[in-house]
Amino acid sequence: MADTKSSRKGGGFQFKVRGPRDFYGGLALIGLAIVAILATSALPGQHGFAFGPGTAPRIFATLLAICGALVSLIGLIFEGPPIDKFAVRGPAYVLVAILLFAGMIRGISLSAIGIPLTLPPLGLVLSTFAAFMVSILGSSEFKWMESLIAAVCMTAFCVGLFVYLLGLPFQLWPWS
Amino acid sequence: MHDLLANLALGFSVAGTPANLGFCLLGALVGTLVGVLPGIGTVATVAMLLPITFGLPPVGALIMLAGIYYGAQYGGSTTSILVNIPGEATSVVTCLDGHQMARQGRAGAALSIAAIGSFFAGCVSTVLVAALGVPLTALALLFGPAEYFSLMLLGLIFAVVLAKGSVLKSIAMVLTGLLLSMVGSDLETGAGRMTFDIAELSDGIGFTNVAMGLFGFAEIIRNLEMSQESREIVNAKISGLMPTKQDLIDSSGAIIRGTILGSILGILPGGGAVVASFAAYTFEKRISKHPERFGRGAIQGVAAPESANNAAAQTSFIPLLTLGIPPNAVMALMVGAMTIHGIVPGPQVMTKQPELFWGMIASMWLGNLMLIVINLPLVGIWVSLLRVPYRLLYPSIIVFCCIGIYSINNSPTDVVIAAIFGLFGYWLVKHDFEPAPLVLAFVLGPLMEENLRRAMLIARGDPTVFLTRPISCGLILVATLMLVLAMLPMMRKRRDEVFVESEN
Repeated sequence: MADTKSSRKGGGFQFKVRGPRDFYGGLALIGLAIVAILATSALPGQHGFAFGPGTAPRIFATLLAICGALVSLIGLIFEGPPIDKFAVRGPAYVLVAILLFAGMIRGISLSAIGIPLTLPPLGLVLSTFAAFMVSILGSSEFKWMESLIAAVCMTAFCVGLFVYLLGLPFQLWPWS
Repeated sequence: MHDLLANLALGFSVAGTPANLGFCLLGALVGTLVGVLPGIGTVATVAMLLPITFGLPPVGALIMLAGIYYGAQYGGSTTSILVNIPGEATSVVTCLDGHQMARQGRAGAALSIAAIGSFFAGCVSTVLVAALGVPLTALALLFGPAEYFSLMLLGLIFAVVLAKGSVLKSIAMVLTGLLLSMVGSDLETGAGRMTFDIAELSDGIGFTNVAMGLFGFAEIIRNLEMSQESREIVNAKISGLMPTKQDLIDSSGAIIRGTILGSILGILPGGGAVVASFAAYTFEKRISKHPERFGRGAIQGVAAPESANNAAAQTSFIPLLTLGIPPNAVMALMVGAMTIHGIVPGPQVMTKQPELFWGMIASMWLGNLMLIVINLPLVGIWVSLLRVPYRLLYPSIIVFCCIGIYSINNSPTDVVIAAIFGLFGYWLVKHDFEPAPLVLAFVLGPLMEENLRRAMLIARGDPTVFLTRPISCGLILVATLMLVLAMLPMMRKRRDEVFVESEN
């Protein structure tokens, strides 16, 4: 999805993209369709009267590619709005917070990405607290005291609601 | 008629037990609580609160979910009126006149008219659901795979036509949704499709993850980049909650027309509630003797869309309960909830579990009643909730969503998938793609493929089966017609734009 902002230079002649939102949006959809077609290429297709597992995905992926091409074409020909600036800071903090929660709650082995480290399950309390603190850092009006108090309150609320009131099976602490 | 009454009586006896009344009340309250939060719409609310119903008995869980649904809708309109932030698409039009009324110091009247209109619409459509349930279930027996496929196609076309923005882009979203729904094991052969050898994907992508990502996380990311001072809460004390007699007279016609329009549009698959509120508002403005008052605090501009969206919300249970087809994203979540409790939605629910079917219908009415009796006096509390600064609100929503997603399957991978869909949703918004058709297609995808394959197998590979069977053919014709009608103005608009440019 990051490729949408890169500028295109044709071999020798320059495109004038009139509606970049549509143009790059359509291109990305074509990309998605191609990924889908490649991913299903090994699956058996039509077999007599019966659809194979690969038939329907390939039909829809092909249609998506056509649609994407048309959207791109419209973006190429017709004047359209420019692409809005993508914010980085807010989404980054939110994303890290969510991933942190996912990694902490059950523990995670980082060996798959080359780091020889296995994180033990840290439980609901620490995960919630950490996710709250990280995501609140993304705010432009961050205040330490207020955030800490809010994080403690929210953690207590979630534990109370999900564990005690609803009785869902959560591990609370790293050691329990 | 006698049957209808007997059935409704059964329903009320189920829904009226103290425990179920409690679930309904609780659902309505938490639904409102979350629905009031700006930027969290009905779908995200229901998805977020889904886990809290897991521990309940099936009837109780569904009743509570229905309560959450109405609560969320009501909460959405409260935010629109008081803060001018539509919590969701259905209350966008409520903002127009509702917020103006609030600024004129008539927030109380706007809120109560919204609730009264919703309640009236709820009463009418509850009866409608009860009355149409039986005949439509009989109709379901006439439906073979070809008809089911065509009906779902019609639903998707509706979603495309009703989505705002370009028809072509909405179709692209539908196709994306269909593709995404096919990730996972094939239904018939068990072959892994587009799983990229990731074990967690072999069961497919969970619907709640997609919904939370696209409607929850993406919204938050988007709200974060907007400046904070744009939230303007009406600070004036809300006095005089009761509407005046004149208000009631002025809005009664709008409520009735909104209800009728909403009920009809809700039955059609494809996101009925949103279009119902838009259609009702436009209709009301067109027939009004004083169209210039609309947008400046006309009470009809609140009454009509609010009645319409509630009526549509209710009648959208009809396709779900009779045909087993979820007509919109919220109903899809209901399917999820039913499946978790071992109920397969469809015509057999009514015959095999009448207490569930009628209990739910009765609880719809009770849920509406609770909203009016309990929520209106609590408006002050909801308003104070809106004063919580967003910088504290959004981390709370994020952790709550994380815990909610995780608790459904105890799977951290689901949380990661939702995060990915959050980013994807953010990207979609930046490129003017609507997520709603994608979500509906994602929900209908597996059902559509299954029926398509069956229909083709039965017809011995002959694709004309969809046109030779009369019901199926009719549905396809309607779908084509809708699509053509939607494309025509688009072409014209494009041309107009070009003309405008050339004139400049």
